[in-house]
Amino acid sequence: MAHLFPSEAWTAAYQAAVNANPNYKVAGKDWTHGKVALIVRADASIGLEQDMAILLDVNAGTCHGASYLTGEAARPLAAFAVEGPYDHWKQLIIENQDPIKALMQGRLKLTKGHLPTMIRYVESSKQLLSSAQSVTTEFRR
Amino acid sequence: MGTLDYSARIEVLASAQNNGLAQMVADLILQNLLEHPDKRDAFARLRGRVAIVAEDAEVAMTLEFAGNMLTVHDGIVGIPDLTVRAQGEDIIQMSLLELIPHVGLPNLFSSSGRAFMHKTQTGQVRVYGALLHIPLLLRLTRLLSVY
Repeated sequence: MAHLFPSEAWTAAYQAAVNANPNYKVAGKDWTHGKVALIVRADASIGLEQDMAILLDVNAGTCHGASYLTGEAARPLAAFAVEGPYDHWKQLIIENQDPIKALMQGRLKLTKGHLPTMIRYVESSKQLLSSAQSVTTEFRR
Repeated sequence: MGTLDYSARIEVLASAQNNGLAQMVADLILQNLLEHPDKRDAFARLRGRVAIVAEDAEVAMTLEFAGNMLTVHDGIVGIPDLTVRAQGEDIIQMSLLELIPHVGLPNLFSSSGRAFMHKTQTGQVRVYGALLHIPLLLRLTRLLSVY
């Protein structure tokens, strides 16, 4: 069954996908730096009236929880926040693009968090996002 | 000696505000200066232009160092003393080069150092101007390293 992106159901499926990704278990095993928020910027044309976030409680290679929140609610709870417009997230998920490349191109932005720490865990970030590919996803456009 | 206000000494020009690579490198340098006082000497001594091109991301930037001052440009501006061309991920790997303790030079015998050297030998990472500007390259590496 396909889950609408982003949504509560997609978030739950994504958590399961992260925990089922053996590469993430390895790459993220040393990550103890807090929650990560993936924030989709508001886009009224697809029914996102405000920024929406998938807040991942990741620690030591396991995703202990995932919440679907407004961006406003998620930002203070996250140690790291990556934000971007809907179409860029969609492209990242469909094409399994490298998140670092997306950051370099300015299509996504690290709006909260310690960049040197994120760089040290670049493989962990890649595996976290590539887990999204295994979620059967229905896009809003 | 007081600490300089490094955030005021690193200027990302308006034209580079949407250049993610430029923002990342500027943020990285600022964080490193704030958290690693031992890198400040390298920043004070850096003079010259360094172009960085992330080929897969099709993004380029220029770092213009002028001794405790850095201007970050979008694209390649002026004639760079050094030009680094690589995949985006390999540019990030440059910042993971471990340094030799107390010396501050890249440790080319570490796993990250060996991987970097291999990529330069196979042409995956190309550094133009390195032989003519060795001090610039070493100081830049020190400044960019997160260690």
